[in-house]
Amino acid sequence: MAPLAALQATFLSALLFLGTDCGQALPEASTLTPESLKVSINTSQQSVHVQWSVHGLAYHEELKMVFQIQISRMTTFDVIWVENYSTTVAWKQVLHWRWDSELPLECATHFVRLRGTVEEEAGTPGPRPWSNWTSWEEVDAQKSLGPGLLFVFPGEKLVEEGSNVTICYVSRSHENNVSCSLEGVPIRGEQLGPNVSVITLNNVPFIRKTGTNFFCEMKQTHTIQGSVLWVSKVLEEPKDLSCETRDFKTLTCTWDPGTDTDLPNYRSQRYTLFEAFSGENKSCKHKDSCVWQVAPGSQETYNFTLVAENSLRKRSVNIVFDLAHRVRPMDPFSMRLESVSATGATVTWKVHSVWDHFTYLCQVELHGEGKVIQQHNVSVEKDGQCPFSELQPATEYTARVRCAAAEHFWKWSGWTGWNFRTLAAAPSEAPDVWRDVKSALGSCNVTLFWKPLSKSHAHGEILFYNVVVENLHGPSGSKLFSIPALAGGTEVALDGCSHRILVTANNSVGTSPAAVMVISGDPADKGVEEERVEPTEQGFSLTWKPPREDVVGYVVDWCDRPGDSPCGLQWRRLGPNSTSAVINSGAFRPGVRYHFRIYGISPQRRAFLLGKKTGYTQEEVPSDAPQVLVHNLTSHSFTLSWKDYPTDSQPGFIRGYRVYLKSQAEQCQPEFQKTVLPDRSVGCQYDINDPEQKTLVVGGLQPESSYEFAVIPHTGAGEGALDAFTKVTMPDERSHVLIRIILPMIAGLVVIAILCYLKSRWMKEMCYPDIPDPYKSSVLSLLKPKEAAPLTIMSVNDCVPDALEVVKKPEGSKTPFPGARKAAPDTTARTRPDYIYLLPTESSPSPCICFENLTYDQAAPSSGSCARVLGPHEAAPSQLGLPTSAASLLKPLEQNYVNTPAETPAGETTLNYVSQLASPVSGDKDLLPTKPPEPEPELCCEYRMQMAMPLDLASPSRNESSNGSPTALLGQEYHG
Amino acid sequence: MWAQHTRRALLSLILRLLFLKPVATGSCSGNGQELLEKLQRQVDLMQDTSRFLDHYIRIQGLDKSGLKEHCQERPGVFPSEQDLQELSRRDFLRTLNTILGHVLPRLVTFQKDHPKVEDLGMVTRYIRGIRDNIHCMDQLLRGSSEMAKPTRASPGTWPPHTPASDAFQRKLEGCRFLRGYHRFMHSVGQVFRKWRETPSRRSRRHSPQWVLQRGIHRMPPSMRGKRLVPRGQLPR
Repeated sequence: MAPLAALQATFLSALLFLGTDCGQALPEASTLTPESLKVSINTSQQSVHVQWSVHGLAYHEELKMVFQIQISRMTTFDVIWVENYSTTVAWKQVLHWRWDSELPLECATHFVRLRGTVEEEAGTPGPRPWSNWTSWEEVDAQKSLGPGLLFVFPGEKLVEEGSNVTICYVSRSHENNVSCSLEGVPIRGEQLGPNVSVITLNNVPFIRKTGTNFFCEMKQTHTIQGSVLWVSKVLEEPKDLSCETRDFKTLTCTWDPGTDTDLPNYRSQRYTLFEAFSGENKSCKHKDSCVWQVAPGSQETYNFTLVAENSLRKRSVNIVFDLAHRVRPMDPFSMRLESVSATGATVTWKVHSVWDHFTYLCQVELHGEGKVIQQHNVSVEKDGQCPFSELQPATEYTARVRCAAAEHFWKWSGWTGWNFRTLAAAPSEAPDVWRDVKSALGSCNVTLFWKPLSKSHAHGEILFYNVVVENLHGPSGSKLFSIPALAGGTEVALDGCSHRILVTANNSVGTSPAAVMVISGDPADKGVEEERVEPTEQGFSLTWKPPREDVVGYVVDWCDRPGDSPCGLQWRRLGPNSTSAVINSGAFRPGVRYHFRIYGISPQRRAFLLGKKTGYTQEEVPSDAPQVLVHNLTSHSFTLSWKDYPTDSQPGFIRGYRVYLKSQAEQCQPEFQKTVLPDRSVGCQYDINDPEQKTLVVGGLQPESSYEFAVIPHTGAGEGALDAFTKVTMPDERSHVLIRIILPMIAGLVVIAILCYLKSRWMKEMCYPDIPDPYKSSVLSLLKPKEAAPLTIMSVNDCVPDALEVVKKPEGSKTPFPGARKAAPDTTARTRPDYIYLLPTESSPSPCICFENLTYDQAAPSSGSCARVLGPHEAAPSQLGLPTSAASLLKPLEQNYVNTPAETPAGETTLNYVSQLASPVSGDKDLLPTKPPEPEPELCCEYRMQMAMPLDLASPSRNESSNGSPTALLGQEYHG
Repeated sequence: MWAQHTRRALLSLILRLLFLKPVATGSCSGNGQELLEKLQRQVDLMQDTSRFLDHYIRIQGLDKSGLKEHCQERPGVFPSEQDLQELSRRDFLRTLNTILGHVLPRLVTFQKDHPKVEDLGMVTRYIRGIRDNIHCMDQLLRGSSEMAKPTRASPGTWPPHTPASDAFQRKLEGCRFLRGYHRFMHSVGQVFRKWRETPSRRSRRHSPQWVLQRGIHRMPPSMRGKRLVPRGQLPR
């Protein structure tokens, strides 16, 4: 071992010696000074290009060297960049180096210098000394600016969104009044030199594809210069890179490129596909896909690298796969449907064969009515087929197939489809038939309704319906009606109501089973009362009790449009175990009353009514107010009646009524409650909770007062609208009483008047005979028992008349006296009247004649004294107010008296009988209190005599009648 | 924004109905009055800055304070209205045709850069229509008694324009160019309007010669046959 160790040490020492000797053979650093330094500027790239050479190298000698490059700005002392650049230098080689400037090179003068040294190698001792610096080389881009006062640099620049950009402007104006803006927003820079300012824009945004505008304006000269920053979006790494083949001839790779970074003036975004195993690459035509040609049988595994790049950035993604695992087959073709029957069919197809024994997995779907009905998976090498069964007759289907690689599933191919229709078959079910029966006079009109058979039961287009009617109790035989399919029913008139009806549906293949129903003559709805049913969210929930009879089912029917004709009869069949049903329909509307009838179906297919229900899906307030009539109007009450109000046709069940009453007094009757009406006035209300009570007696009202009332019905939804009040004025209480009194009185008077008329002669005899006979006076007869004293009836024989003239007057010459209550019968042949009058005699200067005639006046005797008849006779005032002044009365009397009957002209001498009535007229009564009777200086008894009076005296002339009122005349006479 | 778009689409539809056939398809109408009216409508349409300039300003981002003021027509690029009025009718038509021939490529380029602006495509179609109608009008005039005298310079000899070196100035130049173009079309419309405003229109209604005859009477002898040489350059 020791000799071997000594040999190794000797060998190492020799190597070290040789190495030291080689190092000494390298040229000294001072001799490798860079020379021929040249500096230039590329303004479009804003870069400084430096080139130099190294002298001192031997021919064909190459040497690894390091060059230290310094760049200073504005002055040589302001070094802004130092970089060591390593390269291999050959004899007479010109070296190049590039430096990209952030600051536009036009903004400032730059200086460049460099020095070099041999690059240190491993194992060489100590650092090598640098060569001397070259002299500073100046580059000044401003010298080439040309004429102009203002410059902005760079003129344009492509940058990524979010990057920083440095801009400067050079002003050759002494005043340096320059303002700059970025997209119209003023922005200020830093002074870099006497005429140069620098603006740094950080995180520049993407604004538009036509560039972001930066501009500066010199105010004095309105010079404007600017720069356009082409801000592009940041290039994204491609996502979802995927490659597949459909035919083993081409590979198609796709990916999501992300945001498009291209600008109108800078379209640099591109993609390249590189395959590592083959070393081939391909420039892609599209930004999201690329097609790669597959060499047949040469390569199974692929290693792709997708490189995305633009002017500013490069990104890449990688994918490795086996070609057989990325097979997406071509779509199946030559698809057919074979052996199509009513319930089955077989689909066949072909696939593109890649190579022998390549197996595909194919998926077969059968679609019907928009959904998948059947799905099958089939292995296929070239030709495939799949049978379908349990299909519906006369139904449209779609069969479709897609395939994928069976061994290494990657993706399904596209679908290939085929539509077909199964053949028709006879309808499988009887139509759903219902009826509406109207019986009258032993016959029945039956309206049949049926629902169209569903597709699954029709098995083809229904062409017509057959209706067979069999009379159950009549002679055997049946009638057949064929109804077109479009009709949803028919109407059949039956002779008698006991019939069986069979309905079948027919298509092109056959007939359906028959729907059977028996029509019975029994009135079905007798004794079944209608009940109310409350709606639920699901609809009308109907329940019923199962009947005692056997049933094979139930039917609930109703009208969707009650009140219309036809009403849209609907029905629902239920099983024999059902005792409830929830009925709902899209046709149901709020405020409409629906009527439901529940029928049981007997085994003989006879329907019998089990119950009737009625209800609203949603009640509404009454739509109209009742017409209210007022009856029995008295001074304290009246009766309201609205019996004609139809409660059944309202949009809700009438639950009652609310009676509103208003009066000026604003006081409510005891049974009323005070309330505030919608018009904010105060009124009274009374609630009637019985919807059948349609009358109300309102009492306790004030006579001669006005009241306003309104009757508003209410349903479960609320009260109807209070539109208007009806006014009632209460009558007067007195008039009511007066009517009660006056009417009987008038009736009595009428009766008396009639009696008087009928007994006028008797009355005349009794009351006012032409020549009164005191002895016949009934009054006297009444007084007789009372009078103890002898009668004081003056007898003619007892009188000692001074003068008496008796004039005989023939009967029938009387003229009716206007003041008489009853006119005497007039006579056309007037004769000279007879009259009687007492005249004072001249021999007796003051004769005093006293009569007490109780027949005519009881007050007269009570005066207690007799008056002497003075001078000219003063006639007694007419008790009827006639214008009987003394003068007017006396004058004709005198004439009559003087004249003989022969001298009296006809007409003028006619006398009337004037009844003596002692009671003063009303005018006298009025006068009495104001003119109490004064004692006469000469007492005299006044005889209220009966006298015959000329007619013309009794009826005064027109002139006289116009002279004054009777009262006035009486006054004159009284005072006179 | 939506209302503006709707209004523009409606206007576009109306204009398309109005000028059902804006581009002549080879056969010229012999009715000079009708042709002149059609030219008048087409030129009036081109005066509207909303057809082109407004789009350009908005798309280029020149609708900012401090920039809009610099989008003014550069003098000398397009002939003034007075210069156009002084031209003979045939020279006027040739000048118009030449200028439109220079304008059209720029508009087509701009349309390609901004395919979503529908109005741009319509404007280029109408310019082609105007040029076709100019051709027909020129044919009518050629058949008349007016004879074009030899011109001092061809109206279509605009020197090639070197676009500005920096992008910002190119934007401004494009804006100024379009401003001048709209103004120029307004001036052209005024010229056509004067052609139509003739007191003896009835007699010329059915005569294609009336335009020519009127032009002869109105033009001073010194201007007959004189063709305009555009002074400015057309920036691209």
